[in-house]
Parts: sequence; structure tokens; C-alpha cells
Amino acid sequence: MASVKLTNVKKIYGKDTVAVQDFNLDIADKEFIVFVGPSGCGKSTTLRMIAGLEEISEGTIEIDGVVVNDLQPRDRDIAMVFQNYALYPHLTVFENMAFSLRLKKAPQDEVYEKVTAAAEILGITEYLTRKPRALSGGQRQRVAIGRAMVRDSKVFLMDEPLSNLDAKLRNQMRAEIILLRQKIDTTFIYVTHDQTEAMTLGDRIVIMKDGFIQQVGTPTEVFDMPVNLFVAEFIGAPKMNTFKTDLVCEGGKYYITPYGAKIEVTGKKAEMLAKNSVTSGTIVLGVRPEHVTLSDSSNPAAIACKITVNEMMGSELHLHVVTENGDKLIVRIPTISLEDEQRKAMVYGATIYVTFEGKVMHFFDEETERNLLA
Amino acid sequence: MKKLNDLEYLKLNKSQRMTYNLGLFFCAIPGWFVHLFRVIEKGIKNCGIAIADEFSEIGRTFKQGNKAVKLSFFLFGVGNLFYGQTMRGLLFLLFELIFIAYMVIPSGGFHWLAKGNWFQVGATVGTEQGRFEYNEFYDTDVWVTGDDSVKVMLYGLLTILFIIAFVYTWRLQVKQCTICMDITSKGKKVKSGKDDLRSLLDDQFHKTMLALPLTGILFFTVLPIIYMVLVAFTSYDAAHDGYSNLFSWVGLEHFNELFNFGKGGLGLAFGEILSWTLMWSLFATFSNYFLGMFVAIMINKKGIQLKKFWRTVLVMTIAIPQFVSLLYVSKLFDSAGIIGKLISQIPAVAEYLNVNHYISLWDSPVVARVLVVVINIWIGIPYIMLMATGILMNIPQDLYESSRIDGANTFQQYTKITLPYMLFVTGPYLLTSFVGNLNNFNVIYLLSGGNPLNTEIGVAGGASVGHTDLLITWLFKMTLGSAESKYYMASLIGILIFVVVAVLSLIVYNVIPSTKNEEDYK
Amino acid sequence: MKKNNDNQIRKTSMGARASQRLGNTVVYVILAIVTVVWLFPFFGILLESFRVETRMQVSYLWPQQYGFDNYIRLFTETDFLIWFRNTGIMGVATAFFQTFFILSMSYTLSRLRFKGRKTLMNLMLILGMFPGFLTMILIYKVFADAGLTLNMAPVGLVIVYCASSGMGYYVSKGFFDTIPTTLDEAARVDGATRWDVFRKVIMPLSKPIIIYTILMGFMAPWGDFMLASYIIHENSQGMNVAVGMYEWLSKTNLNTHYTMFCAAGVVVAIPVTTVFLCLQKYYVEGVTGGAVKG
Repeated sequence: MASVKLTNVKKIYGKDTVAVQDFNLDIADKEFIVFVGPSGCGKSTTLRMIAGLEEISEGTIEIDGVVVNDLQPRDRDIAMVFQNYALYPHLTVFENMAFSLRLKKAPQDEVYEKVTAAAEILGITEYLTRKPRALSGGQRQRVAIGRAMVRDSKVFLMDEPLSNLDAKLRNQMRAEIILLRQKIDTTFIYVTHDQTEAMTLGDRIVIMKDGFIQQVGTPTEVFDMPVNLFVAEFIGAPKMNTFKTDLVCEGGKYYITPYGAKIEVTGKKAEMLAKNSVTSGTIVLGVRPEHVTLSDSSNPAAIACKITVNEMMGSELHLHVVTENGDKLIVRIPTISLEDEQRKAMVYGATIYVTFEGKVMHFFDEETERNLLA
Repeated sequence: MKKLNDLEYLKLNKSQRMTYNLGLFFCAIPGWFVHLFRVIEKGIKNCGIAIADEFSEIGRTFKQGNKAVKLSFFLFGVGNLFYGQTMRGLLFLLFELIFIAYMVIPSGGFHWLAKGNWFQVGATVGTEQGRFEYNEFYDTDVWVTGDDSVKVMLYGLLTILFIIAFVYTWRLQVKQCTICMDITSKGKKVKSGKDDLRSLLDDQFHKTMLALPLTGILFFTVLPIIYMVLVAFTSYDAAHDGYSNLFSWVGLEHFNELFNFGKGGLGLAFGEILSWTLMWSLFATFSNYFLGMFVAIMINKKGIQLKKFWRTVLVMTIAIPQFVSLLYVSKLFDSAGIIGKLISQIPAVAEYLNVNHYISLWDSPVVARVLVVVINIWIGIPYIMLMATGILMNIPQDLYESSRIDGANTFQQYTKITLPYMLFVTGPYLLTSFVGNLNNFNVIYLLSGGNPLNTEIGVAGGASVGHTDLLITWLFKMTLGSAESKYYMASLIGILIFVVVAVLSLIVYNVIPSTKNEEDYK
Repeated sequence: MKKNNDNQIRKTSMGARASQRLGNTVVYVILAIVTVVWLFPFFGILLESFRVETRMQVSYLWPQQYGFDNYIRLFTETDFLIWFRNTGIMGVATAFFQTFFILSMSYTLSRLRFKGRKTLMNLMLILGMFPGFLTMILIYKVFADAGLTLNMAPVGLVIVYCASSGMGYYVSKGFFDTIPTTLDEAARVDGATRWDVFRKVIMPLSKPIIIYTILMGFMAPWGDFMLASYIIHENSQGMNVAVGMYEWLSKTNLNTHYTMFCAAGVVVAIPVTTVFLCLQKYYVEGVTGGAVKG
């Protein structure tokens, strides 16, 4: 129901500890935006500035075209879900959810209607008379979301809402948030350190590091075309394999030469290399684990490596291997494509041959770590 | 002293480590003082810079300000009124009017300031000595009231306080006016009186909350303390009580008394009492601490029944007003008391008392000192026991389990886990408790009253000095309003107590680990 | 071989159990002694308060003759009831005002952030290092002029107890520090002002510390001798129990008032101990919390 616009927003703690640097972002109405990054990257600080819980050192934040820098949180018309739920321990679930309405002195009928409606959606109707301490983690989180829902606010902020839950519950709640989003049609800003949540929930993802925005884009964009090495390694699990190698340009064709193998760059990637007129030299090459395939020694593009760890994940196999010169790679192989004997042979110390295709590779500058194709 | 790196340090054996740490500790002491002086120096420098900035800022404001700003330099609140902040403006204006009125009325601010003769050594505080004068009507000498030095000084101080408030308010309203000017020039609206009131319950809520408590502290602690410090530079005592006899400014004269180490000299008495006070505090704090912890561990031991009962028995001592229990216990140990009589019948004790012509145990300096410490254990253990119980429950059980697997016995568990944890957590408490014991009036005054008298010192600073007297009880006797009361001495001792406590706190805060590695045990 | 091993295990475990039992016995013995030592004075006071045969101090424990003489004398011949009433009123008033001052001070310093907060706390730390009762030199003078000493001494004393009580904010600040700040933030996002947060979120959660503060305030006048003796100055109508009863143990009064002192001690101890033991739980929380937070 509202757009949010951040212009040159900066957060400085004390004298010179910079938490957020020059943050510029336009969030469209009804968009689901995810801020993601490692801890201390400034994502939560940015969210708290939008909420009005932190002062904005420089720049402006607008909600629906109104500069809200000097407004108290209660005057910004936002709702927020906190990581540790922040439920009022002395109030029942019903009163917790009704808290904001009570402050507004809403009539009892309206309170009842709104709270029960939200409780219905979240499936917590039967707990309405309980105190928060009698609830499980997942139920508490639902109450926290419900409390935010009844406000009908312009912007819905969520600060790592799932990180206090165990893995199974987290997956379940993630799915529910997607459903919820379809029901309450408003602008979402969601903070997480978990790239899976970011990829599955966000319309657009904002990847941050050390207070700087690294990349803003749809999940597909950031996955397929990470602007730098950090984003490449941060998005995707297991993380992308990266290693130094030489890029050779011969007769209009590009080759890379990892560990004595020679692989031609093909498809769109080759076109873009040519378009950006990249020259030969040492680069950092990135290949996602799922793009590494098994090969045999006869293949000129094959790389010999030794298995150090074999992780059987069920539907797929994660092999941690080292190359001849000690680089570590991860290979992800669907179990279904393996013969039993093949699988049995993959033990500690066994040598296997792997390769990857020219169209799946990512190229990064050795020094600036920027994507050479971007 | 050479600093070792981590690996070198780990190579040392136990005794080497201890010497190394001790060495480090003592080498660090000069550092603290250097640091302290640097902090003070920096503080003064920053203060100077801030003041200079303030002045240039004021100058600039005057130059760049519009008419409203300029006018507000002389008439409070004009700026606020000009920009529509009626409520603030009127309040400021009212304040200025009251201030000016107070200063100029007869027996107002100027009157009191003029009477004070502030810090002129030899001059009296107040100018008019009250005296008996012949009165024809009554046909006898009648007391003609003059100045009261106490009031002159008090009202003088209040006036100074008022002047400071006036200057601050002046600056505040000029600043607000400039802010208003800025805001309106940007085309925004200034805050209205309604906004002001609303913000007192929100972003200015701290002002609402602190207003009353801080006013109380200002008038009942800060002001009296400043007054008390000033008294140390006057001749305020029972003979010069300010009303019948004006007291006067004497400068640093009383401080010389501090170096009088003869009989009845302040230096001797202070040294003697201070050393006992420190000794008492040390014994009282640590005996309570360790015994209390011991009792707590016993009560919390696995397999001990009736935990609640044992605890309640001890807690009873806290519940019953100390003056009842302490006075009663002090009588118990008297010559006629049950316990006193019992102990006196022990042959060795009886002979000791006899030889020295002591009637009761309280007459012997040594025994009296031991008794107050022992009885204080009776008073203090319950507090420590309660506190230790809480902390003991917080020690993660798996620490004990893993140490048992590592082969530690109960005693080792105590020294390696319980004690370090307790010491760490209660470090700050130990300091406060030590300082609390320095000033533990109740226990000493109600038990021994400071007696037996110290005949080698006799009367010092206007009060008799006893062997169990703490600085605080000595002080109390000095000010009790008897004919010998010397208030200026009390002030002096008060300042000295402050210095002792401040230095101790400074050192302790630099040593105890709790303030340094806050996260160690979390 | 295996059997042997089993035997050994059993032997050591038996040994452990036996030594634990021995340890427990030792602990019980010590605790029993502690109990006797700690309860002895109370028991003594109680017995002596019922002693009729002489009003002097005696060196035997069990009275030869029991009776209520001391209590009857206490309520009919002395001003004790007035002192008791004074102290009771002071206790209630102090509990009320002190709680108000301490809570607003500690809440503000713990949960609100504003310019000068650190300075304020340091300032109070330094102020606390001065021996507090020296302020009485001035306060007594002013109160004497204002008529708050003689009959009105209880009023003056309540002011003394309460006015600066904000400086004793440490324990309750420690308590407020443990309440997660996200609660405040959630409430503020929900539309609450800071006043709403204080009233509707934090205060309902602070029952233990409120009761603790009330308890401390109520107990203060019952035990205070130092400040009270300063303000009261020999006017029986305005005395509190401590100052009043102190006189009974002076050398001149001791032989006629000793048993009465014990009776009065029992009467004083009853309300205070009852209140205290009922609210013990909160007191313990306050003490432990305060110590851990430092």
C-alpha cells in the first residue's frame, strides 16, 4: 500500500563507526524486498532506521512520499516482527495482538473482529486466551506476525523472523509467509542472513556487506549474474567453487586452463566476454557445485582430484575434493545418475575426474573481484 | 617490565606466572595515574575548547540573527513568541522577570551575595553581629538579631545556583530562537506548545521522569555537600554557630590540623581511626563473604533437606530491625549479660580482665574489636547467603559434571569453579560492600558506641575517640550538637572520607576482572 | 575378571555413598549450630520480655516468673505507642515516595537513552562517595527553622529519606536492564508513546522489583537510628522507635527499662518480620539480581 524510498541513507555510531553507507533504494508498492548479508553488514540497522528505532545519521527515508526522518515509530504506520518475537509476557495472546488497537482506543467489536480474523489466518485461534510463555516457538512467531497483521499498516517489516526456529519449523514457516503474503497485500521488507530465505521469499534481493549494498536484483538475476565474488559465494548452497586460473583468448575463442585441462567457453558467456573485450590473463573462475560433472581421464577437459569428504545427502551426493595443487572443490551429483558400484568407489582418497561446461562458468577480476561479464 | 606474548606466558610455571602478574600489576600503577591525569587534562582542555566555541557561537548568532534573535538576547522568550511558541516564550519571560525581581528586592539575591564576604580570610560570613542592647521599654538588655552565617551562606549558595540557571536559560532560549529561525527559513513549521507537552510523554519522557528525583537530589544532596565543603574553610563550631556568634572564613587553616600528631591532634586521631576503619572493613567484608558463601554452599548441597527452613532462620536476622537485635546482642556480651558473664568466667579471660581492671568485655580494646567483627558476621551472613544462593544456581551444572569426569574432587571443584565464578560475578558487589562497611554506622554505634575510649588520643576534632570508632561514628559524635561540636572538622573529615573512598574505588575498578572482561562467563 | 571389576565398582560407589552420608551429617550438625546461634538472641528477647521478677539485666536465660507486666507497662506508662505509630506512618509514606523516586530514576537510566545519561550516572557515583549524613548539618538547621524537627520530625524524616532516594537506583536498574529492549521497540512500533511503554509494558512486568522497593522503603524508618536521632532531638512526641528505645538502654535507665526494651523489641519485630517474611521471595530476587548486575 506504500512505496518506500531510501536516499543516501547513512548510519554512523559514535564518532566514526559506520554501519550503513550510502544506501539508495526504491521499494515499489506491494513489493517483497529481502535484505540479506552476513551478520554486521548493516541490514538490520537499515530496517530499524526505516522503523524509526534508530536515528538516521544522513540521508532521507520516505514512506509514501513523506519524509519520515523525524517521525516517531508510532507515526510511521508500519508493523514489525522481531527475531525474538517480543511478545508482552504479561498479556494473553489476544491482548498481545490487540495491543496496538487498544492504544488507538478502537471499539471492542472492531478489536475482536480483527484479532480473530488474523488468528484464523494464522491458525492460532485456540491459543487466544493463553499467555505467550505457554506457547511453542512456532506459535509465538505466529502471534508476533498476527500482532503485526492487525495493524493494517503501510509497510510490513520483518527482522530475521525465522532464525530462532529449528530447521524443520523454519521451512514450514517460510512456506506460510509466502501464503501470508498473498493474503495481506502490502509492502514487505524482510531481513535475513539466510540466502535460502532470501531466494525463496523475495521479489527482489538486496545483498549487503560491511554497510554497502553489493547488488540489488531478482533471485534469478543475483544467482545467474552475481556482480562480484562476494555475491557469487554468498548466494547458492553449497557455495560456489572459486579458484584462480588462466583465461586464454585464441583466435576469437576463449579457453580456460584449470589444472592442466583446457575448456572452451561457449554460449552466451563467450559472447559477453568478447563484447566486454576481455583479454588473456589470470582470473578467478567460479563454478557452482551442481554444474560440476563426473568425467573420465580420457577427456581433455577433465580435472583429476582426490576425495576428502563424502556427504550422502539422500537425493544427492556432496563430494569435497582437492585438486593436485591443493585447491578445494565441492561437487554435487544427483544420486540417481550414479551406478551402485560407482558410488561405492567414491571413498576417502579415491581419485575421480570432474569437468564442467563452458556455458556455466563465472569470471571475476583477480584484483577487484568484479564480474568480468557485468 | 617486559611484556610476554601468549605462548611465552603459557610456558611459565605457577610461581613464575604469579611473579609475572604481580610485576605487571605494580608496573601498571604509575600508568593508571598518568592515564587519570591525562583524562583530567583532556577534560579540561575539551572544556576550554567547548567554552571558547560557545562564545564564538554566541557572537555569530548575534551577528547573523534576525531582529527576534537579537531581541531575545535581552528579553527572554521574545524569539519563541515571535515564532508562535507562546507557551515557551511566556515561561521564559516569566523566569527572567522572577529572576530580576529576586535579585534586586531588599534581602534578595544581591543582598545575600554582598553579605557573604566570600572566601576573604578573616572576614565574617554575614556582616551584622547579633548582640544584647539596652532596651528602654523592657528596661533590660534585649537580644537584637543580626545576621545568621548559616543562612547567609545558604542563601548565597542558592543565589549562585539561581544565577547559573539564569545563564543556562538565557543560552537555551537564544539557541531555540536560532533553531526556529532556521526551521522557518526552510519553510517548515516550528513545534507548538501542544507538541511540547506531547513530547514530554514521548521523546522527552526522561525529563518528565527525572524532574522530581533530580530536584530532590539537587536540594538534599548536592547543595548540602557543596555547603559542607565550604564549611571546612570556615570556623563554624558550637561556639560560632552563626546566630549568636558569626563564624568567619579561615582559609586552609584547619587543614594544618591534619598534620598535628600530638595528643588530641587531628592527624594522630585520623590516622588511628582510618587504619582501624580500613582493617574493620576488610575483616567485616571478607569474613562475611567467605562464611556466607560457605553457609550457602552447605544449604544448597545435594541431599540436604529442609533448605527453606535453614534459609528462613537466617533471613530472620534481616527482617528484625537492626537496632533491636544489635542493642540486645551488645547487652548480651555486657558484664551482666548471659554470654558476657559466661565468657568472663573462663579463667584465662577472667585473669586478663582482672589484670587490666576491665569490668566487661567491651572495656578491652582488642576484645571489643574482635567482638564487633564477630557480631557483624551474625548480621552479615544472611545477605551473602541469599546472594550466593542465587549465583550458585546460575553456575551451569555441566561445569561440575565435566570437572568430575576430569577427576576433580569436591574441594577442587570449589576452588576451581565455584570460587572463581563467585568472585567474578560479585567483584563489584565486594567493592560496594567494602565501602558500605567503611561507613557502617549502625553496627559500631549500636554495639560498642565506639568505645572503649582511646586514652592516648583523648578528644580530637571536638569528639572523644574510641578504639572501635569508625570515621563515620567519630564524625557523628562531632556533629551531635554538644558544646564541643566542631562542624568544620566534620566537614574536613567528610572530605577526607570522600578522598579515601574515591581512591579505593579507582584502584579496585582497575583491578577486578568483572569490569574488564565482561563477557568471560556469559 | 568381569566379576572382579563389578565388585570393584560396587565398592567404590558404596564408599562414595558412605562419604556423602558422612558429609551430609557434618553439614546438618553445622547448620544446627548455626540455627541455634542465629535464633538465640530472638529467643532471648522473647523470654526476657515475659520476665516479671526484675526489670534489670540478669545473667540467666529462663525467667523465674512469667507475665505480661512489661507489655502492660509499655502501653500504659510510656510513649511507645506514639513512637510506634510515628514509625508506622513514616514507613508507609517512605515506601510510597521512595518507590516513586527510585523507580522513575532507575527506569529512565536503564531504558531511555538521552544526552548526558552517562555523565549523570558518574555524577551520582561520585556524590555517593560523600558520607551522606554530613548533609544533615545543613538540613537540620533548615528543618529547625521550617518547624520540621520537634513534633513534626516524622514529616522531616520522611523528606530526608525520600528526597535523595533516587541515588539508590542501582538494584532496580539492574532489574530493568534484564528486560529485553525489543519489548519497548515492539510497543513503540505498535503505536505506544514512551509513557505508554512504561505504564502498559514495563510496569506490569516489574512486580518483583516494585515490591522489593516498597519493602525496603517500609523497613527503612524501623531500623534507622543515625538520621532519626539527628532530626528528632529529645522530643518524645516526634520520635521513632529506634531513637525512643535507645534511651532505655542508657546507663541511667538500663536497670528500670531493660525488660521493657525487650518487650518493645518483640512488638516492633512482629509487624516488620511478618511483612518481610511474606514478601521474602521478592527480597531475595532483589538482593541476588542487584549483586549479579553489580
